Amino acid sequence: MSALITFDHATLGYGRRVVLSDLTFEIPEGDFLGVVGPNGSGKTTIVRAILGTLKPIAGGVTRIPQLRFGYVPQRDQVDYSFPLRVVDVVMMGRYDRIGVGRRPRPEDRERAMAALEAVGIRELAMDQLAGLSGGQKQRTLIARALVGEPNLLVLDEPTTGMDLVATTQILGLVRELHERRGLTVLMVSHALNEIANYVTRIALVQEGRFRIGAVDEIVTERTLSELYGIPVEVDSIAGHRIVVARRGPAVLKPDRDVAAGGHRGA
Amino acid sequence: MLDAILLFRDALYGTLVIAFVCSALGVYVVLRRIVFVGASLAQMSTLGIAVSFWLAGVGVAGVITTRPIVLSLLATLLGVVFFSAGMKRARIPPDARIGVAYVVAGSLAVLFIAKAAAGEAHDIFLQGNILGITRGDWLVLLGVTVPVLLLHVVFYKEFLFISFDQETARTLGYRVERWTLLLYLTIGLSIAFAMQFAGLMLVFDFLVLPAVTGLLMARGMSGVFAWAIGAGLTAAVIGFSVSVPFDLPTGPAIVAVSGGLVMVAWVVRRIRAR
Repeated sequence: MSALITFDHATLGYGRRVVLSDLTFEIPEGDFLGVVGPNGSGKTTIVRAILGTLKPIAGGVTRIPQLRFGYVPQRDQVDYSFPLRVVDVVMMGRYDRIGVGRRPRPEDRERAMAALEAVGIRELAMDQLAGLSGGQKQRTLIARALVGEPNLLVLDEPTTGMDLVATTQILGLVRELHERRGLTVLMVSHALNEIANYVTRIALVQEGRFRIGAVDEIVTERTLSELYGIPVEVDSIAGHRIVVARRGPAVLKPDRDVAAGGHRGA
Repeated sequence: MLDAILLFRDALYGTLVIAFVCSALGVYVVLRRIVFVGASLAQMSTLGIAVSFWLAGVGVAGVITTRPIVLSLLATLLGVVFFSAGMKRARIPPDARIGVAYVVAGSLAVLFIAKAAAGEAHDIFLQGNILGITRGDWLVLLGVTVPVLLLHVVFYKEFLFISFDQETARTLGYRVERWTLLLYLTIGLSIAFAMQFAGLMLVFDFLVLPAVTGLLMARGMSGVFAWAIGAGLTAAVIGFSVSVPFDLPTGPAIVAVSGGLVMVAWVVRRIRAR
């Protein structure tokens, strides 16, 4: 599989403030990668570097020329006071294809309807976005990302603020899109337990430390305990991995190599 | 009554042009939550006019004193650049910067006009001089607002996208900062020209109240624009028609009608929601 995106000793940050340094990894075609870390750890910084809206301070981030993103922002980043219908919001995903100053064509509308069909809310096309439930709003934003026919789908905290049912449905939908369409997916979340059972690879970001690998390799008691600096237990319930922090004082120190942040993945 | 209105028909045409363009652009002003950017731009435009009067009073001759629009436009465009660029990078919260610009520009305008020998009354900044609009004035207004509105028709989806979801627009290759600057420029340009005649209060009214009426009444973006423009024009016609024969100040009369329309729209919305 060829790499869609390659981080080559990239240092990321804002101005002089370094958030993550010396990142080296690839996102190959067909990957289903979860980027996990607490709020403020640098997940969104990585996403911005991937999307090209943040240039690395040092090193390089390269993308294949024909790469098209389908971006699903955090739900609260969208302004729901705009009186927009669901289909109009989805159509925005094709605006760059339609061209500046041009009007959407019937074909664009058909594709928007097809995208809504793919996420299971075609019947809501003419409804107001603001009137939808959290899960339906998220499906609308996923449909908007799909309608641009991307080869990399990027989702930023897609399940924040959702209940268990909606979370399961959205993550199931994303996995289905990955499996059925062979879509490369990058999903950002602060909830390791939520996405560890869906993605095939995980990148963990914690206080400037970064580690990436297959889920089986990363979601282990030793690796997680090293990364988080507290004893962590990994259990399995009904075939699902559950990660819990053990009670008691921290006994493990972060691995120095891990702390340096320079890890080769992919 | 009709005779009185016909006597000021050029003023009415000018008011309708201002109402149309400000009500349309006001939809973005309200939805983007930049209502006070609009107010601050209007204040900066006022400052430009005040400086022009003051310079005329101290004997400076030339286009900047014979045509206050020149300095008004310059001050407004400086405000546009100030508000559209670097708002996120600054350490001071955006609303505080807007507040600083509003109050400083307003105070300076009062200070300059207080020392202006041109003899303009202070309340011209609040009420404008809408009845003084001539045929030449409203043709100039039309000449400015038609291109602005055409620009908005052509780039409707671009202005909508960068207003609704900047981050996603950016990922699709939109240069959000440039589009934002263009949007602000069109708003600033309209404000600067409208301020020459309508005054601070009426311009602010047309930028906010009709859009609020539109948002209360309509369910889609095109409906919001239609209702906003309709509300702006209705307020202008009714306010004008009432003020002229009854010798009321025209600007406040239009604002009062705009406020009434907002209340009616709010009641209609409540009834619909039941």
